[in-house]
Amino acid sequence: MMMLLKKLASLRLTLVGMILLAVLAVVGSRSADIGTDITVVPLGILVANLLAALLTNRSFRTQTGLLVFHVGLLLVFACIGLTVLLRYDGHVEVLQGGAFDAGQVETVEQGWWHDNRLDKIELYQGDVLVNYLPGLNRQDTASTFEYRAASGELRRITVGDTRAASVNGYRLAATFNKGFAVLLQWTGTDGKEMLGALHMPSFPEFDWKQVSTWTTPAGQQVELELVFDQSVSDDRAHWTFGRTDMPYSVNIAIAGEPQRSIRNGDSAELAGGVVRVEGLRVWMAYQIEFLPFLPWMFVAAVLAIIGLALHFATRVLPVSTPAGSSVEEDDYGHVARA
Amino acid sequence: MVMSLALERQLVLIAVAMLMIATIVQFAGLVSGRAAYRPTAALYAGVVLLLGAAIAGRWMRENQGPFLTLYDILLSGVFSLTLMYLLISVTLPAVRGGSLVTSPLLLILGVWLTGVSELAVPLPGAFRTPWLWAHVLSGKLFLGFCLAAAATASVMLIRGAALGEWSSRLTPFPEQSEKMIWVLFFAAFICHSVMLVAGAVWAHSAWGHYWSWDPLETWTLVTWLMLGGTLHARATFRNMPQGLGHVLALATFAVAFLTFFGVPFFSIAPHKGLM
Repeated sequence: MMMLLKKLASLRLTLVGMILLAVLAVVGSRSADIGTDITVVPLGILVANLLAALLTNRSFRTQTGLLVFHVGLLLVFACIGLTVLLRYDGHVEVLQGGAFDAGQVETVEQGWWHDNRLDKIELYQGDVLVNYLPGLNRQDTASTFEYRAASGELRRITVGDTRAASVNGYRLAATFNKGFAVLLQWTGTDGKEMLGALHMPSFPEFDWKQVSTWTTPAGQQVELELVFDQSVSDDRAHWTFGRTDMPYSVNIAIAGEPQRSIRNGDSAELAGGVVRVEGLRVWMAYQIEFLPFLPWMFVAAVLAIIGLALHFATRVLPVSTPAGSSVEEDDYGHVARA
Repeated sequence: MVMSLALERQLVLIAVAMLMIATIVQFAGLVSGRAAYRPTAALYAGVVLLLGAAIAGRWMRENQGPFLTLYDILLSGVFSLTLMYLLISVTLPAVRGGSLVTSPLLLILGVWLTGVSELAVPLPGAFRTPWLWAHVLSGKLFLGFCLAAAATASVMLIRGAALGEWSSRLTPFPEQSEKMIWVLFFAAFICHSVMLVAGAVWAHSAWGHYWSWDPLETWTLVTWLMLGGTLHARATFRNMPQGLGHVLALATFAVAFLTFFGVPFFSIAPHKGLM
């Protein structure tokens, strides 16, 4: 067993693991077919190698800094592993004046051990303000919402570029992605009424194409285009995204029919019912994340750096300047006076 | 009073001219066998003062630090590399022979700087965090230490090639220079580790991902692995030829240099903020 551990602790294996990690990181990140998950292989080798080295390598017992660095590194690996198993990463668009709907969340990644509790989130979206400088240069983002805290009270928070919210253990961060939504009232021929919102593409990224396809409750496919009377974004001046009081119209396009245009409060007759434009809202996209071991990963990384600094101060510096070997500056004041 | 762009340009041009003189002084010293470090150090001090003034003036005029555009990164890069090398070489005489390598390298960066647009781009909101400062400062320290180590390794390689008496004169005390390479290399490793951690914290607060395998992050990891791998190799193979260690130190600096000055401009999203 000890022999096996010693072989596993080989410094040569460390170098092989490091070279393999560097190569696979570059190859995996450049090729979607291979992907970066392949780096798990060299990471696994390095973790086993490091663990075995910590158990068998005697030099760690006499070099505290080196020991702290490698323990810190091992803890970073452990936190990465736990993060991969427990993580959640998703995106959701929430309508101004509307509530968070767990069913609308698009999951990007979910760890095997993640206990999904998104349906417990109670959140109501408020105003969104994003300031732009000339050249469509995005500045500060301020998205306000109310959420039900663990204590049961309803709390209001404004999140932005460097501030996120923690709701039911999930981290909600405002993204650059946001846009307009048209509120639509549908009245079927049977008299049933429904209110909904049609999200338009991200703004101002797609300000030239504010078109979305909607399937009415009666099953008809309709293309709706949001057209502002005057341009909302301005490439040459300061402007703010988030206003909804600008005059606009909604173009309705149905295959094989002439295009119609209706304004706020107007109705249009469609197959199986009548649609009425009730108003304009904005939507905000959030990144939802669950990474419970991230703070510990930071602590472990800081520990590793402290270990490196300690090793540098106690082992590397003293060796480089042994007593009596200092060289007078004049000796090096030139390159040629030899 | 705010410094005009025209004055900033003049300061940069004079600084680049001084780097050109430093390069000529170095090669002239090599050919003639005359002392070259002191005049080079004086020229470097002038470059630091001029570029420091240019950065301060630009900072006050634009009301933001040099963090975003290629011009900003080159301006702060030439300033910090010159300052770091000057401080290191003044403190550690054994690395002074490296001026032969740092002078033309800094000159290339300086000439590149004069050819790019000085137009300032407003910083996105995500850049207004102290973690950006920690990330950038540790990055500058890393590259400064790495430059000094690589420059000294280069002249040691030249010495090792035994090209003549002149090559020996570059490092009159090779044992001390050899030790300094690895002290500086280790310091670079610590600073690079701090830069990685601070960058991950910043990226998480700004873009929601502490690590996203974009080209800049991937090549930064490769640089870290090369730093760690080189130090590991020296510890593992005690009989490793000195020259191989120098080549590894040089290769690490080359990858770091390309990561700093090349990759950010092929990778559009990570460091520029999205619309």
